[in-house]
Amino acid sequence: MDEKFEHGSLDLAHFIMNDIKFAQGENLLKCVQCGMCTSACPGAQHSDYNPRDMIEYILEGDNSIIESEDIWNCFYCYTCHSICPVGNSPCQANQVLKQIAIDEGIADEHLRPFLGFGDSFLNHGMGGIPQNFFKEMREDIGEDWWEFKNHLDDVRTQLGLGPVYPDDDSIEEISTILVKCGFKDRVEKIREIKDYEK
Amino acid sequence: MKQIPDKNILLFKSCLVSIEYPGVESSTTFVFDKIGVDYFVSREQTCCTGLGHYSDVFDQFTTTVNGARHFALSHKLNRPNFAMMCATCYAINKRVANLLNENDELRDSVNDVFDDCGFEWMKYEKDDITSRENIFHVIDIFYSKRKEIAENIKYDFSDFKIATHHGCHYCKAHYHDTIEGVRNPHIIDDVVNACGVETVGWYDFKRATCGNGFSQRFVHKDLSMDATNDKFKSLKDKNTEILIHLCPNCHIQFDRYQPYMEKHYGEKLDIINLNIAQFLAIAMGADPYNVVGIQTHTVPVEPLFDRLKLLSDEDKKMIIENVSRKVDLDNSADFNMEADTIKVDFKKGAK
Amino acid sequence: MVSDNLKVGVFICKCGGNISDVIDIERVKESIDADVIEEYTNLCSINGRKIIRDKVIGDELDRVVIAACSTQSHLKTFQAYVQPLNPYLMDMANIREQCSWVHSTTDDDFNQKATDKVITLINASIGKVSKSEPVDPIVVQTPNSAAVVGGGISGMSAALSLGKQGIKTYLIEESPSIGGHMAKIGKVFSPVKIAEECGLCLLNPVLNDVVWNENIEVMTNSKVVKANRRAGSFNLLVETKPRYVDSEKCLSCGDCVDVCDKLIPNDWNDGLTNRKAIYKPFAQCYPDSYVIDIDNCDKCGDCKRECKMDAISFRRENEMIPLEVGSVILATGHKLFDPDLRPEYGYSRFKDVITQSELGRILGVNGPTKGKFQCLSNGEVPKNVVMIQCVGSRDDTPNGHKYCSKVCCMVALKNANIIKHKYPDTNIIICYTDIRTPGMFEKYYKHAQASGIRLVRGRPGEVGKKDGHLVVRVEDTVKREFKELDADMVVLSTAIEPSEGTNEIAKIFDVSQSEDNFIKEANPKIKPVTTDIQGAFVAGTAQDPKDITDSILQATASASKVSEIVSNGIEIEPFIADVDYEICDLCGECIEVCKYKSMSIEKDRIFIDPMSCSGCGNCIAKCDKNAISINGNIDEMIFSTIDGILKDKKPGEKRIIAFLDDIGYTAADNIGINRLSYPESIHIIKVISVNRVMPKHIIHALKTGADGIFIGEYPGDLLYDEIEHNMKKIRREIEMNNMNPERLAFSKVYIPYFSGLARKFIEFDSKIDEINDLAK
Ligand code: SF4
Ligand code: SF4
Ligand code: SF4
Ligand code: SF4
Repeated sequence: MDEKFEHGSLDLAHFIMNDIKFAQGENLLKCVQCGMCTSACPGAQHSDYNPRDMIEYILEGDNSIIESEDIWNCFYCYTCHSICPVGNSPCQANQVLKQIAIDEGIADEHLRPFLGFGDSFLNHGMGGIPQNFFKEMREDIGEDWWEFKNHLDDVRTQLGLGPVYPDDDSIEEISTILVKCGFKDRVEKIREIKDYEK
Repeated sequence: MKQIPDKNILLFKSCLVSIEYPGVESSTTFVFDKIGVDYFVSREQTCCTGLGHYSDVFDQFTTTVNGARHFALSHKLNRPNFAMMCATCYAINKRVANLLNENDELRDSVNDVFDDCGFEWMKYEKDDITSRENIFHVIDIFYSKRKEIAENIKYDFSDFKIATHHGCHYCKAHYHDTIEGVRNPHIIDDVVNACGVETVGWYDFKRATCGNGFSQRFVHKDLSMDATNDKFKSLKDKNTEILIHLCPNCHIQFDRYQPYMEKHYGEKLDIINLNIAQFLAIAMGADPYNVVGIQTHTVPVEPLFDRLKLLSDEDKKMIIENVSRKVDLDNSADFNMEADTIKVDFKKGAK
Repeated sequence: MVSDNLKVGVFICKCGGNISDVIDIERVKESIDADVIEEYTNLCSINGRKIIRDKVIGDELDRVVIAACSTQSHLKTFQAYVQPLNPYLMDMANIREQCSWVHSTTDDDFNQKATDKVITLINASIGKVSKSEPVDPIVVQTPNSAAVVGGGISGMSAALSLGKQGIKTYLIEESPSIGGHMAKIGKVFSPVKIAEECGLCLLNPVLNDVVWNENIEVMTNSKVVKANRRAGSFNLLVETKPRYVDSEKCLSCGDCVDVCDKLIPNDWNDGLTNRKAIYKPFAQCYPDSYVIDIDNCDKCGDCKRECKMDAISFRRENEMIPLEVGSVILATGHKLFDPDLRPEYGYSRFKDVITQSELGRILGVNGPTKGKFQCLSNGEVPKNVVMIQCVGSRDDTPNGHKYCSKVCCMVALKNANIIKHKYPDTNIIICYTDIRTPGMFEKYYKHAQASGIRLVRGRPGEVGKKDGHLVVRVEDTVKREFKELDADMVVLSTAIEPSEGTNEIAKIFDVSQSEDNFIKEANPKIKPVTTDIQGAFVAGTAQDPKDITDSILQATASASKVSEIVSNGIEIEPFIADVDYEICDLCGECIEVCKYKSMSIEKDRIFIDPMSCSGCGNCIAKCDKNAISINGNIDEMIFSTIDGILKDKKPGEKRIIAFLDDIGYTAADNIGINRLSYPESIHIIKVISVNRVMPKHIIHALKTGADGIFIGEYPGDLLYDEIEHNMKKIRREIEMNNMNPERLAFSKVYIPYFSGLARKFIEFDSKIDEINDLAK
């Protein structure tokens, strides 16, 4: 458990409020536990995830919420955010909780499947579905899709569109920037297999 | 109503549009050309980081730096008005603009990165780009050009049962900026309406997510599909034939995964998916393969063309008249955006 | 500096340590020059009064300075304590809010700088009183009449109370009948009897009393379209729309209704039924006669032909009626939140999603179903009813209201109880966030629970339809469980919001509105019925959400406020403009410049409305014949106060003078009340209007040793733009006098933003340091 946040205090709440992912400021503290967020939440309707409850953990200073598996069921659909009567955002609070988990190094497993997004940005200056998902997608969607993927450039030409990727100078530019931001290190750190995972 | 630009627009490329449904981009430019929108697409643009961002791989700082580069680019090109084809690009960039304008410390750190890299020209100054005045979704522009859209319509879709889905990150993430409803989003319905077509309007779970949930579709597929199923069931109850949306990520969920859903939940769906730009392009007579790009779709779009009728001159005249009247009404001060659409009844004429 | 023949007494209050813990009172006493110097722990107490009065009488004091708290707290007290001395020959030096509370002690010793400041402030007050003249407060008598706008339960109660006190009262109602929302509520809740009572039965006697009271004139179909405040009275213009049916002749036989074939949704039943274009609002309405809804009438004339009394005529026009009254009570009431603004609850999509108000009509014996409780879709008695609380209330999202509407919890419990008593088989669930039933209402809440009403703690996200019936999606937050509650009927407890009439009347009378658009009371704690316009009061839901009992309470309270004015007149500050009619040639220039619109020509004379004149002095400057003066020798008083502040200034000492009017002064007090601090160099002088501080005063102050001048003005003041503009001129003048124009600061002030003012003081103080350094 992280010592950064004293158990039973508002430390965790204050950390979230001040994080740049969270835009609702002190409204976090105004939560009345009305459950409106949960009432309209797809995650709550189809799993054990409960955004109201998650907020209660945060306000209680119960840091165990950081390690909760349930919070990984949020869709980031912002429904809760748009209806919360006090202007809180469970959606953004959830995003910050995950960043905390990542910083603590306990979320690598969750992120590894998606590192492809980072690699593709560093190498091609653009996101795109990571290749590790292709096999399953091909099964789920079908051969037509696979066929189309292999002929993307032809289709684009037919539609009068230019190349998919940005020009080389821009790719160069963005990778330089991303390295400077520490993004590359972040990706590499997540990729490392920790001892305890081995 | 807020001011929506039609000039100096940077049409922001979306990674999923580019890779999965490139026809959305060609349809958008096709429609823009018809309705008189001045835009430019730049190869210097990367993408918004959205997919990685919402899979928690990107941190907010990196996303902000990447966004700031695009803001600088837009000024370099003298195209400070962004038009997004994807709901995620829209929300990400609005957030970046707000952060850069409101958080002095963060702005300084972003500029430090540019300094360190020797990219002086990218440095951001407060209010270079503002979320409300500079960042739009393509749908906003369509909405502001409903009269022009009505004037360019060639085909009649009024025989189809059409429903709409509004991307979450378009209508909910920045709800103070959203036009035409957050709790009852209906801006796409209004634009479809400008083609003389009535949509099914509200359906249960209308404002709910498409179900993709970024990481969810890949790592919690059942959860993701259950959420999508809520929507499909409700759409089926309304006998929906065409579903129109404004975001390629929703498009993938509803189109690519439809066969899978049919198998998994044991119900035939046969719901054709179109991005609003593709819908407008078809209605304006664009070529299905060379412009709309229907060959990239998983659920075949072809059956639609068999039932499409040419619009008669009389009908078109009536549509133009009614749409102008409605647009004027919407622009009047006391219009209530959250309530249901004031529908234009095309058969009997607006009241 | 006080002329020898004036005897001055200075009384210093320790304020039970509030002052004397920080200020070295002994040193203060040694340093000032006055005929009498006294100190006491609590000057405002009865003992304090004795000390002051004994000295005033015994030592025959001509002037008094009270060094104590702010004028905001005790001006009236000390004005009374110095009697028989004229109240305007006394001045208060604010050494608490603007001194001891903003300059604290660092160690056990007194704060010496603050002690110096007290001496300076007392000297300033001595300077000021030395130039003051005795003036008498002006009492304006108002006519013995009042207008009550709005004929609901609040308006009727207020009118009745006024009428019974012998005050001529006009009760002005926009709709064709008085009665308001209460007439259609059906049953009302009674906390004490733990029972519901018939609303109309309670209302009827009030209505009859109003109608029969000879002092009350009921004006229905009427609206105030213009209002002017002049010298203690309001001139109103009331527009009365014709009823097209002569109430005197109409027998209420209703023959006309049968022949009319226009159908219009009936407001009184919340549109659940229809009525004709000729109709009676409700059975017990007043006036008890039919009326034609002309906007929905075809003017076919069938009713006219049918009427045996020949009461109907279409040739009627709107009438404009001027009224002059002494006071007004605004009781324009509320409306209900539009449930379509929460489309997820499906009000427009599902027939059986209704509001509490509609449910009230359905349960009413005089309602659309004659009291039979049923679903609107199929006429069946619902098995499951779910009520959703706080629809549009306690909601920070767009179109919502942040406040609690206060009555809807009770309304829901009441309607649930009524249903449960008559239809015990119907299940009722109330989905709530908090149940708010304060005081005696809690008993009613328990009673409702005992009748078997269920409560689910959770705010529903949406209402959908599943297998032919409604479902309410909600989290049962107590059980941490997402649920879909089955329902045949869903009832929305919609928020109370200000009516359109309330918004209109606020603009017409120019009374302030709260951020939620209700009419704002002058002070929610201690002046709950007065508005910021003298003589205008507010009652009922026009002011904030409240129930019937509270509305009646406030109505009668406002009526007694009116009667206070009627019996004693309104007392106003005497520092207003005065015209010398010998000199005035009626050129009329002054009328134009008066931003407060207090000047007019009446009976061939310039007339100045004492109620609205602020004493700003704009007209003085405009009048080139020098015919206007302002009571109270203010010009001289400002000079002598400045001299007092700058008296005995030591080398190296810094003294900054801040001129503030009432608002700025209150903001400055708030800094003290909240115990923020600013430098001791700041010395505040309160003026009637900062417009009275002339360039000559500023130049004089700077020349005689002031280090800086700070002028604060509330941007809402009518003179703000002008004053801001004048600052440039004054700065130029300062420069011409070879001084740094930056020594004059001008700033916006707001009462709630006192921390901003404190910061401005601090910034200005350090800026003056820089300027002083530069000058060296
Ligand atoms: S976050 Fe908002 S919606 Fe959720 S329980 Fe708290 S107040 Fe209610
Ligand atoms: S953003 Fe997450 S918590 Fe909020 S409603 Fe969507 S899934 Fe639920
Ligand atoms: S009275 Fe009850 S229902 Fe009404 S707003 Fe207040 S808490 Fe909500
Ligand atoms: S300007 Fe002077 S002289 Fe002229 S009307 Fe006014 S008071 Fe009289």
